[in-house]
Amino acid sequence: MTQNPALLLPVVLPVAAGIALPLLPALREDRNQKLFVTLILAAACLVTVPLLVSGGALRILTLTENAEITLRVDGLTRVFAVLMLAMWVLSGLFSFEYMKHEGHHTRYYAFYLVSLGALLGLSMAANYLTLYLFFEWMTLMTMPLVLHSGTEEATQAALKYLLYSITGASLGLLGIPLMLRFAGTLDFIPGGVLDPSLVAGHEGLVLGIVFAVVIGFGAKAGLFPLFAWLPTAHPVAPAPASAVLSGVITKAGVLSILRVIYYQVGTDFLRGTWVQTAWCVIALITVFMGSTMALKEKVLKKRMAYSTVSQVSYVLFGLFLMNTTAFTGALLHVFVHSICKDALFLSAGAIIYMTHRTRVDELRGIGKEMPICMWCFTIASLGLIGIPPLCGFLSKWYLCLGSLESDLPVIAWLGPVVLIISAILTAAYLLSITVAGFFPGADFDYAALQKHEPNAFMTVPLLVLAVLAFFTLCPAPLLGIISAVSAELF
Amino acid sequence: MILFIAALLPMCGALVSYLIGRRSKSARDYTAAAFALTEFALMLWLFVRALGGESFTCEIPYLLGRGLLLRLDGFRALYGLIAALMWLMTTLYSRDYLSHYRNRNRYYLFTLLTCGATVGVFLSYDLFTTFLFFEVMSFTSYVMVVHDEKPGAMRAGQTYLAVAILGGMVLLMGLLLLENLCGTLRMDELAAASKGVDRARLYLAGALILFGFAAKAGMYPLHIWLPKAHPVAPAPASALLSGVLTKAGVFGILVLSCELFLHDAPWGRVILAFGTITMFLGAFIALFSIDLKRTLACSSMSQIGFILVGVGMQCLLGEENALAAWGTVLHMMNHSLIKLALFMAAGVVYQNLHKLDLNEIRGFGRGKPLLMFIFGMGYLGIIGMPLFNGYVSKTLLHESIVEYIEHLEHAGHAAGAYQALEWIFLISGGLTAAYMTKLFVCLFLDQPAASAHGQHGNGDGPYMTRQSAFALGVSAAILPVLGLFAHQTMERVAQAAQPFLHAEAPHHAIHYLSLTNLKGGCISLIIGALVYFGFIRTLLMRTEPDGTKRYVNLWPAWLDLENGVYRPLTALVTKAAILVCSALVRVSDLAISGAIALAKAMSTAIVNGTDFMISAVIFLAAAFGRITEKLPEGILALLNATALRRIGRVPPKVRRERRAPTESTHAVTNSLSFGLLLFAVGFLAVMLYLLTNVV
Repeated sequence: MTQNPALLLPVVLPVAAGIALPLLPALREDRNQKLFVTLILAAACLVTVPLLVSGGALRILTLTENAEITLRVDGLTRVFAVLMLAMWVLSGLFSFEYMKHEGHHTRYYAFYLVSLGALLGLSMAANYLTLYLFFEWMTLMTMPLVLHSGTEEATQAALKYLLYSITGASLGLLGIPLMLRFAGTLDFIPGGVLDPSLVAGHEGLVLGIVFAVVIGFGAKAGLFPLFAWLPTAHPVAPAPASAVLSGVITKAGVLSILRVIYYQVGTDFLRGTWVQTAWCVIALITVFMGSTMALKEKVLKKRMAYSTVSQVSYVLFGLFLMNTTAFTGALLHVFVHSICKDALFLSAGAIIYMTHRTRVDELRGIGKEMPICMWCFTIASLGLIGIPPLCGFLSKWYLCLGSLESDLPVIAWLGPVVLIISAILTAAYLLSITVAGFFPGADFDYAALQKHEPNAFMTVPLLVLAVLAFFTLCPAPLLGIISAVSAELF
Repeated sequence: MILFIAALLPMCGALVSYLIGRRSKSARDYTAAAFALTEFALMLWLFVRALGGESFTCEIPYLLGRGLLLRLDGFRALYGLIAALMWLMTTLYSRDYLSHYRNRNRYYLFTLLTCGATVGVFLSYDLFTTFLFFEVMSFTSYVMVVHDEKPGAMRAGQTYLAVAILGGMVLLMGLLLLENLCGTLRMDELAAASKGVDRARLYLAGALILFGFAAKAGMYPLHIWLPKAHPVAPAPASALLSGVLTKAGVFGILVLSCELFLHDAPWGRVILAFGTITMFLGAFIALFSIDLKRTLACSSMSQIGFILVGVGMQCLLGEENALAAWGTVLHMMNHSLIKLALFMAAGVVYQNLHKLDLNEIRGFGRGKPLLMFIFGMGYLGIIGMPLFNGYVSKTLLHESIVEYIEHLEHAGHAAGAYQALEWIFLISGGLTAAYMTKLFVCLFLDQPAASAHGQHGNGDGPYMTRQSAFALGVSAAILPVLGLFAHQTMERVAQAAQPFLHAEAPHHAIHYLSLTNLKGGCISLIIGALVYFGFIRTLLMRTEPDGTKRYVNLWPAWLDLENGVYRPLTALVTKAAILVCSALVRVSDLAISGAIALAKAMSTAIVNGTDFMISAVIFLAAAFGRITEKLPEGILALLNATALRRIGRVPPKVRRERRAPTESTHAVTNSLSFGLLLFAVGFLAVMLYLLTNVV
């Protein structure tokens, strides 16, 4: 294995910058600070993208013979790192304006940058131990984003986030001794590393622990039953932080589950077992429950949070089905959800920032006040529902087909049914906002209408996301990367 | 590629005219009209090519991952042309009709987007492409329905959107199933690919797809949006909704019935049954309605029923379905064109009076020969008056039923059900004549209501502009031309369209005015006259004290499928789902809060060396915050005191008072340390395990 020290850069650069930010007095000044953050985000992109193209690996530290900290770029890294960077940059730009009304910029940007380092590290983790390390690190570094406002509510929410994540991660930790005992290695190798001769006779134990591990990492992805932190943490966090928490951090949970199932345990071992069925059922329950709760919820950001619970489980359901089509759908949906949910949270943020309205029933006529913002909101909504030609359609198409292709009894057809019912619910809870916003009724007082369109720091990221929501019009490049990944796995 | 342009051109036009409309209203009107005209010219050119027997397929690869497939053939060109024509006419008319409306820019944007999507649906050659355009059409047309944003429109829009979303999603499910079964959605490959597939599953997929298309077509029991949405939309939009958008649904049903289930008798019977109900029910409701546009909307529903009967007969008749095929295509075309004229005429009434109630608009058309011509052509066409266009298509449909009855009798089967069908068909035709006569008499013959005197005619200026008069006049003039020159016009169209339906031409020429053919039409008209004089003028009109007659709506208000069944049912199901999910959330939240509380209690007990049981009680009380909120102050104080004395700290929720921010941070570090403790314990365990196992 040739060592490529440059792989440290995507991790070290944002982290170092995050640490330097509060320490250097020159960076306290608002303009310098924004410039600095912009530069670092740009540099992170410039550093990471060539590495994603060239690939490579780097062993950082060897604890014992088969427990080492290693970074490596593979197909999956490419998929996730690109997404993380894009969302981080867009939400970062949005923060410049939004954080004006939150205060404590320095603290926010410091943790914002450090979290990016942790996430990039997570995407490049080449073995379970490294993954776990970055996973915990990411949890601790993103907690201050939730805590940001420092109110009683935020404190409680942050603690809840922390407790759920750590509970989940401790379950995730169970997997390390398991793999060492039954595989002898923690490396991520496509197809899994379990040693059948070691497993023989202990199938029940292995399945049970793997089940627990996935439920544990599922806490980050909002999987039932450890989802409750999402609707608590999102409404109190600053909007751009909610956007990345929901759009990207939940995907860290997805990535971890993906690595465990596909690169450690192996699908051959899991396919057709009770564990697969149980996971699928749990994912479907989460999909349905999240959408239904979102329909009930009247606080805009809380509604989005429940929506995230539901949508991320679409991805997980696709992963649990363990076939190529569903896997493609799952990875596509990772993008779909990140893009659309980022746009939704950012427009919710713009609404809060400009009008201080947080409840859906206060949003009548909002489309007349903030047309650009609400157009983006609507496009993202349609994308998330899955109306062609927007992105959600394609991912759901693959997910449903994948489900129909699988030989799991009942779930094969129940899956698409639940996904489609959930899509209808999604339409109900998102489009009702659009409708009230753009069609305020004939008695609407146009004379009193005031434009509240935010400035370019807010609208440009929104517009970029709205355009990205059309990425499935030409999905070939992304599908190419995904099929390269799935070719290794199936 | 040219086909793709045909679908995209109006969409580009939408954006261009929107941008222009931000600067200048009149320039926007011209731009929109210019795009509609260009689209019409393009479709006309394509139609002429298709009439010449040309057909070709056009693929746009990579789009949406699997590429889009469009095709030009006789039927597709015909419907593309009709759509383009209707958009042209309504766009011309919109300028006048909408002149006093708000948000006109939005209206033009979305009508033109809908135009592109609709043309896309009609040109599509695989169901994936159909679905793409179909969904776009569903959503963009919503804006047309709710344009005036009055409460009635918003409610109707809600119904429309709900039906569209539900229909779209069920359709998607059906397509997924079909793709899974057949491995293709290309229309030309469906028949071959479905051979050897489990029939039951194939019917299930077909039923789901049918649901989606039928919801748009307005087939019973999914018709609910139709009588609600058409009356509230602006008249040009109503014409489009009724004339073209419903036909997009019919297009889908045709694809199913003529490709996947070609000549499949059980399938045909299902379509026939639903078609018959739709046909009769629509006409029956229309009889009672006293709202001009609502009557026309119910009429649309009924006419869709006629078309579906034709579709069903095609499947039943098998190879010899020429009459049914021709009847279906021609009735589709006729209905589109007739409703274009009728809805725009209704728009003229509304534009001048701002009312649609028959009692308030009666007599509006007196002394307005042009309006009478426009409405009259539509009226004579739709009731199936010989020499007019509707007569031809209805006769073809009727003859196809007669043919099937003969067919059955010839083979020695009982044909009772189909004889009943024939009579329902004729009676529905009669009802059509009756309710249309009601409208015509009300508008053009009745004396204006006493209260409305002086309001009619607007006093200052003509009741419609020249541009509108042109659009309406041309739309209306097409109808008698088609009827009078049926052999030269309609038959050629039908011939060009029949390959799409996999039908042959009839074996011998059809004489529409022969005695047998006239008989059916005349029976209908006689029934219509009887119903009009025997039912409408006696039972549905009441004499006022001052001697004038009023139209009354005797349809019981509670007899409404939407308000009586669908809405309560949806509310109930949603409520139940929310209840179950809330319970699920509550239980999981409580379980986890409880577990965390116990863990906290344990750590406090270990760290402070206090009693675990008491800590457990206090932390659980804190976790289930609801409990502490309900405790009286005294007991709370006691709990706090106990907590401080026995376990050394009081969880915030038990203490129930706001903390200063510094204290919150303190609470975090407290808990953070707890988290790190867990982490450290876990890490230690792993290290120990590693050391004992590996070394």
